[in-house]
Amino acid sequence: MKSAFSILTLASALLIAGLAAGCGDDHDTTPKDGPTIDGRVATDAGIDGATVDGPDASCFDNPQTNDEIINACTTAQKIYKDTTPPLTLPDGGLPPLLP
Amino acid sequence: MTRTLLASIATMTGLVAPHAAHAAPCAFTDPVVVAQVGDTQLNLMKRLGRALRDDASKKLVLVFRTSGSCTNIDQIYNQTPIAAATVMQYIPSLTEDPAWTPASPTLTCELPAAKVPDIANSALFNSACPSGQVPPPTNVRLAEGPAQAYVMAVPQASTQTAITYQEAYFVFGFGQAGMVAPWINEAELFIRTVTKSTLLAWSANISVPPDKWHGTRFDGSPMVANALKTAIDPEAALGILGAEVYDNDRANLNALAFRARGQYAAYYPDSTSTTTDKQNVRDGHYTVWSPTIWMDTIANAQPTNANARYVIDLITGAPTTPAPAFDTTTIIAAVGLVPDCAMRVSRTFEGGPLSRYTPAQSCSCKYESLVADPDTTCTQCTGTGQGTCAAGVCRAGFCEVQ
Repeated sequence: MKSAFSILTLASALLIAGLAAGCGDDHDTTPKDGPTIDGRVATDAGIDGATVDGPDASCFDNPQTNDEIINACTTAQKIYKDTTPPLTLPDGGLPPLLP
Repeated sequence: MTRTLLASIATMTGLVAPHAAHAAPCAFTDPVVVAQVGDTQLNLMKRLGRALRDDASKKLVLVFRTSGSCTNIDQIYNQTPIAAATVMQYIPSLTEDPAWTPASPTLTCELPAAKVPDIANSALFNSACPSGQVPPPTNVRLAEGPAQAYVMAVPQASTQTAITYQEAYFVFGFGQAGMVAPWINEAELFIRTVTKSTLLAWSANISVPPDKWHGTRFDGSPMVANALKTAIDPEAALGILGAEVYDNDRANLNALAFRARGQYAAYYPDSTSTTTDKQNVRDGHYTVWSPTIWMDTIANAQPTNANARYVIDLITGAPTTPAPAFDTTTIIAAVGLVPDCAMRVSRTFEGGPLSRYTPAQSCSCKYESLVADPDTTCTQCTGTGQGTCAAGVCRAGFCEVQ
């Protein structure tokens, strides 16, 4: 009986852990990595929370290119949303529109 | 029934739409400038029209109507007249309604004869329209004016706060088949017709051609706003609007932050969801914006209507003679546009890459004072030249970088 209870407890714990990890896949609230743009690596301090105010986690202090400008350091309100729409191609690309 | 009485009734009943019934012929003692603008520029026309009415140094009457940007380009490129008896809008004269405010409805009159608009406006790069993809005719001059931002908006009851480039591509490019929850009901996607700058600007930013969008198409921004407010399923509802339309309806709608392609986070046009400073438009964190384009007819490189050019110069920030008795930066900021002199990024085509930009004469500090930018580091000053500034130039009471 004690053994069966332990197995049940362990299974429940694994299930809860699995569910928590699954939720994280769809609602990742942190930058994915220290991004590289045009061969230069952006700062990555790491951030938790869906909405973050204050200095950027990954940003450029002296932006020059388009990708750096849109990811420049700012104190503006940011929302991290790292969803992957179901039809996204395996390489992360987007399929062509239907005719 | 007099125009004054009509205005009074409209004010009492809270109507904001222009009066179209029984419009009298357009007849004014002051010089008239006829403009055909995008509906995103309606508030600018109203505020500027009133300022011109009240400015004794140069009396002008703005008579205008709204139409899609691509239609407006066609109209002036081809010198196609607005038909006689077309109903136009105008600001009531001091005699008709001295207490008129931009929150009041405009009055209407009918064009007494067919006329090519003195001013045509596109609220995005002309090259985004089919007829704008070729160089303009030699008799049409183009001038870039304030920047216009566009938003994706949801009803207040929606819990959504952001949308990514990829999500928007699937939502509007595939509709229900895109399977991006909660935006999977095409009846709750509220979009614009293919001649409208709002749709074209978003098209360029999410890589979905104008004719490929899924959703219900509306001719005017107010219709999209109303559809959002009355949506049967608020969580599934999503629409596109000019930022200034959204700004005037924040009590009922929420703008979504947008994460552009290659961007790490999503941003609002403003520094936060509750401010109106357009900080992210100005510095490039919010990518869905366009310069407004102002067109007039020229002959031998000179404007055929000097008054029309005067109005365009006011809007675009060019020097004017006489200098107006009002501040155009204040008017532009009040209608949700960003004057070119307050921008710090630029682009050369719709949805194109952003570059750093330094205007010849910055008005960033003046603009930030008008929109209450919470992050402003500007200081006030007195005098001319450097004035009391530690560095830079003292202009309009603020220390500008140059």
